[in-house]
Amino acid sequence: MTELGEHCDQVCTELHAAWAIAKKDIIIYYLKPNIIVSGMLFPIFMFLAFAIGRPEVPAVMIPGLIAITILFSASSIEPVSIPIERRMKTFDRLLSAPISLHTVVLGESMSGFLYSLGIAFVPLIAGLILFPTPIVGFAALIAGLVLTSFCFATMGTLFAAYPTESPGDIMSMLNLVRLPLIFVSGVLIPLEQIPQIGQYIAYFSPLTYGNDLIQAAFAGDTHFNPAIDVVMLLLFILIFQFVANRLYKKYND
Amino acid sequence: MYAIEALSLSKRFGNIQALSQVDFTVNEGETFGFLGPNGAGKTTTIRILTGISAPTQGSARIFGRDIVRDTIAARRQMGIVHETSNIYTDLSAWQNLMFTAELYNVGKKEREKRGAELLELFGLTERRDDKTNGFSKGMKRRLTLAMGLINHPRLLFLDEPTSGLDVQSNLIIRDVISELNKTGVTVFLTTHNIEEANLACDRVAIINRGHIAAIDSPERLKNTIQSVQSIEVAFDPVSLVRVEDLEQIPSVSEVRKQGDKFRLITEDPPGVLEEIMEYSRNHNVRVISVTTLGPSLEDVFIRLTGLDIRTKGVKAID
Repeated sequence: MTELGEHCDQVCTELHAAWAIAKKDIIIYYLKPNIIVSGMLFPIFMFLAFAIGRPEVPAVMIPGLIAITILFSASSIEPVSIPIERRMKTFDRLLSAPISLHTVVLGESMSGFLYSLGIAFVPLIAGLILFPTPIVGFAALIAGLVLTSFCFATMGTLFAAYPTESPGDIMSMLNLVRLPLIFVSGVLIPLEQIPQIGQYIAYFSPLTYGNDLIQAAFAGDTHFNPAIDVVMLLLFILIFQFVANRLYKKYND
Repeated sequence: MYAIEALSLSKRFGNIQALSQVDFTVNEGETFGFLGPNGAGKTTTIRILTGISAPTQGSARIFGRDIVRDTIAARRQMGIVHETSNIYTDLSAWQNLMFTAELYNVGKKEREKRGAELLELFGLTERRDDKTNGFSKGMKRRLTLAMGLINHPRLLFLDEPTSGLDVQSNLIIRDVISELNKTGVTVFLTTHNIEEANLACDRVAIINRGHIAAIDSPERLKNTIQSVQSIEVAFDPVSLVRVEDLEQIPSVSEVRKQGDKFRLITEDPPGVLEEIMEYSRNHNVRVISVTTLGPSLEDVFIRLTGLDIRTKGVKAID
């Protein structure tokens, strides 16, 4: 086999292993009735929390609601499942398998990605059925859902690198990041209306670009060019994947 | 080619030197025991040899592949059975096996064939589709071993494979290890059960405080401390015999009470035997059995690690 052939073979092997890890996580953690139900209820409660008493038409809130739903659903499970696997010593199985750390991070992120993609359909379908929220850009919608889900799933896996066996340790750190993101990313208040300092901070938030891309799908009216949103989300995914890989390597040594 | 080559392995965690210039080789097809008290560096060594951790200095090769530079190729040759039975308790026995096979890139047909064989070998076929959270400790251990063998490894790392198991699981696992060895699989066995290492291993290494204290076959290691001979004696009634009295016998260096028997360590067994008979007459106790013993691998272990047996128990070294 040529060197290129061997390389392709190794890439296929790694992708297959990543998919095996994702399948395992889906069976063990995501297909639990309580996880599915709480995942589906989350956007409903978020909607009620932000819609009640506000003068805007609820339809305007649907893209932001989708973005928040993805943020929380994609980044929530790995910070729980990985510490549990550390405690059960099953995580050592992944670390000692003949696969790279990138594959472990990718596999763990894939399950969060698929879960949040599924949950994101709750506000999406509700928006289409209950409110006049026509989709004007299908490509932006697909790109927005896929990239934002993957980005936040990788962020969850990154936080889960912290070497603890207690999910609470990671969730508390994660919430310190996730909650402020909602307020500085143009989800609740349009970017143009937040103070200048807030706008500078928003550039460093992946939620800004995810929300903007999903807004493009519904309103066709966005803060950035959708191509910039896509590039920035891809950049965040690469950064999260790279940093996660380094942290897992460091903490498991 | 060696199955394992550890070349001047050192590992430092902050101010703690966990391993210091550890050198050893394991031949292909050999069963190699790795013994040491807790904190001696066994786990650190295994983590380096399996590529989870990198050495601070030195290198390790698995069948010629450097474990740091060529980690994935080296790991493909291995099966790893961790100390804890680290199975997924929300998955069935079959799902656990298939998941491990997929991590090791075993093809679908092959993994299904191999999975069925291993379940049969370890007596788990009837529980194949049951979630493993209902399995006994022994069944979980057997499944862990089956998962370690799913990829037909040339080298198997076994970390405390029979610790705390029921008799049936113990026998199955020992039998499988013996059979593996016959088929040429190299076994790297970490155990606290010194008798197990004595019976199963071609060679053993004893590690203490991050240094290799000795490497040799169990018999040759025992020969290095022939001065440690002993007499095992049982009295009736045992309640009248005091360890302190037996320790007063000249040329007895140590007395260990083992169940209803006493083990007297000495360099002069005939002389001590006469003293024991004298003691029994003077204290109105009957000697009901006497056995003269050579040094055991446990004695070698205690001598080399400086472990105080009186405070640590006899068989359970930690």
